Amino acid sequence: MDLSHLKNKIAVVGVGYTPQGKVPGRTAASFHVEAVKNALADAGLTKEDIGALVLYRHFDAIGGDYETTAFTVAEQLGVSPTLISQEHQCTRGWLFNAVGLLTAGLVNYVVISYGDNSRSGRRSFVKELSGGKATDELAAYGDLSTMAKYAMLARRAMEKYGTGPHVWKEISIAQRRWAQLNPMAGMYGKPLDEAGYYAANLVVDPFRLLDATPSSDGGRAVVLTTAERAKGMKNPPVYLRGIGSANRPVSPFRLCLEDENSAARVSSREAFAMAGITHRDVDACELYDCFTYTVEATLRDYGFFKPGEEGSFLSAERLGPSGDFPVNTSGGMLSEGYFMGLTPLAEAVMQLRGACGERQLGAVSGTKQPEIIVCSDNGGVFQSHVTLVLSREER
Amino acid sequence: MDTKQSRGFFAPRISADTADFWRGCAEHKLLIQRCKSCGKLRWPAGHFCDSCLGEDTELCEMSGRGTVYAWEVFHKPFHPSLEDKVPYIVAEIDLEEGVRILSNLEGCEPSEVRCGSAVELVWRDCEDYTSPVFVLKKAE
Repeated sequence: MDLSHLKNKIAVVGVGYTPQGKVPGRTAASFHVEAVKNALADAGLTKEDIGALVLYRHFDAIGGDYETTAFTVAEQLGVSPTLISQEHQCTRGWLFNAVGLLTAGLVNYVVISYGDNSRSGRRSFVKELSGGKATDELAAYGDLSTMAKYAMLARRAMEKYGTGPHVWKEISIAQRRWAQLNPMAGMYGKPLDEAGYYAANLVVDPFRLLDATPSSDGGRAVVLTTAERAKGMKNPPVYLRGIGSANRPVSPFRLCLEDENSAARVSSREAFAMAGITHRDVDACELYDCFTYTVEATLRDYGFFKPGEEGSFLSAERLGPSGDFPVNTSGGMLSEGYFMGLTPLAEAVMQLRGACGERQLGAVSGTKQPEIIVCSDNGGVFQSHVTLVLSREER
Repeated sequence: MDTKQSRGFFAPRISADTADFWRGCAEHKLLIQRCKSCGKLRWPAGHFCDSCLGEDTELCEMSGRGTVYAWEVFHKPFHPSLEDKVPYIVAEIDLEEGVRILSNLEGCEPSEVRCGSAVELVWRDCEDYTSPVFVLKKAE
């Protein structure tokens, strides 16, 4: 679908952070509220300006929490927006919903938010069991955990394309190096080398513990509005030059590595075409990295390299600080914090604003100030995907 | 060939859509749903065909022969009851009739398994359910 009429029509004008990592004694809802409060302040808005409040999905309530819903977060913010909603499971509808709401003039500002107390509450990502009983039929084979679903495709890629732990460790190390430049990152002050990666236990072979993103407490929020309204706001707007959205909503075991119409492939083709860019125009990538392999798969599906080139393309030197292909410059979910698609999106916006301090592209030796950053958000197991091509300039 | 085990993993939660499959398993028949309108085989089953949205279905018994699409080895017991079961192999099996199912590979070492390995069906009778599992096909 030709989306060129939407090019640069929407901008991100606010980003909100919270304390993150291990922050005990807090509800998930409180992190939503803090992230939204800070995003509004960053945008120079008040809470009454929220036209639509859209929450990422919430997992089961933990740590004594009550259910976290759009009602509870709006209540705690003390707002009554025109539209409130929350994504169910991990569908990634927020982007097109926001763009549609804003371009149709239904609301003036859309706030997207995520928050969780998953680290203090020791969240389990095993949804195939509840109280020791199966919630589906896959538990009959011991197929438990989200990690296992991703590990299947990773295995296939190992055998078909020659990738594997020797590549994934490079991704892991590169992002950990970025995290050493980010005092907010969960892995700040905790460097990682090859021996450290291989020392981590195998969880679901081929994945080790360090192939998975750790859980974190905290929240993150962004504010979107029209490009017109964005001009003259408190911080420089970051434009949505290209967007794409696609879904492959089949059971994870039915996904095919070789799928020419995977969600990431379709979504990125759409976004790149709308933005009118080629891969060479991209200065950095901020990608959804629930697992190291997700970074590899996303870059392959986006067409940055061909199947079989994983080992030569993906090195810690290239992806890390001072490399020529910066990826996940905050440390990403693997080494900064897990705020779903808002981890990569917030970092992309901050890099384009030039607000990233020691890790700022252009300030890190051997890098240039970015003009265009490609950002991904992935939901389920490669089942739902959005791509954003973000630009500092409105062209 | 049957592999007898006193305890499986977890008795499946069975829905109105999946009941026929598990009933077949209890009789040692690998029954996969086929759309009577367009012929598409599908697992997981559904009330309507995901290709033509037809409602008429039939059950077809599969040969039990197939190949491994992908596989993995669970080292971490994600539930305390699995502590004496790890490591175990979960695999995606492409049945020769053209439909993929999820299952286990048993009776082999991980070093023997590859994507594309030929496999054949055996039945695992547990205390509370019977499931199809696969073993590497022996060289002819």
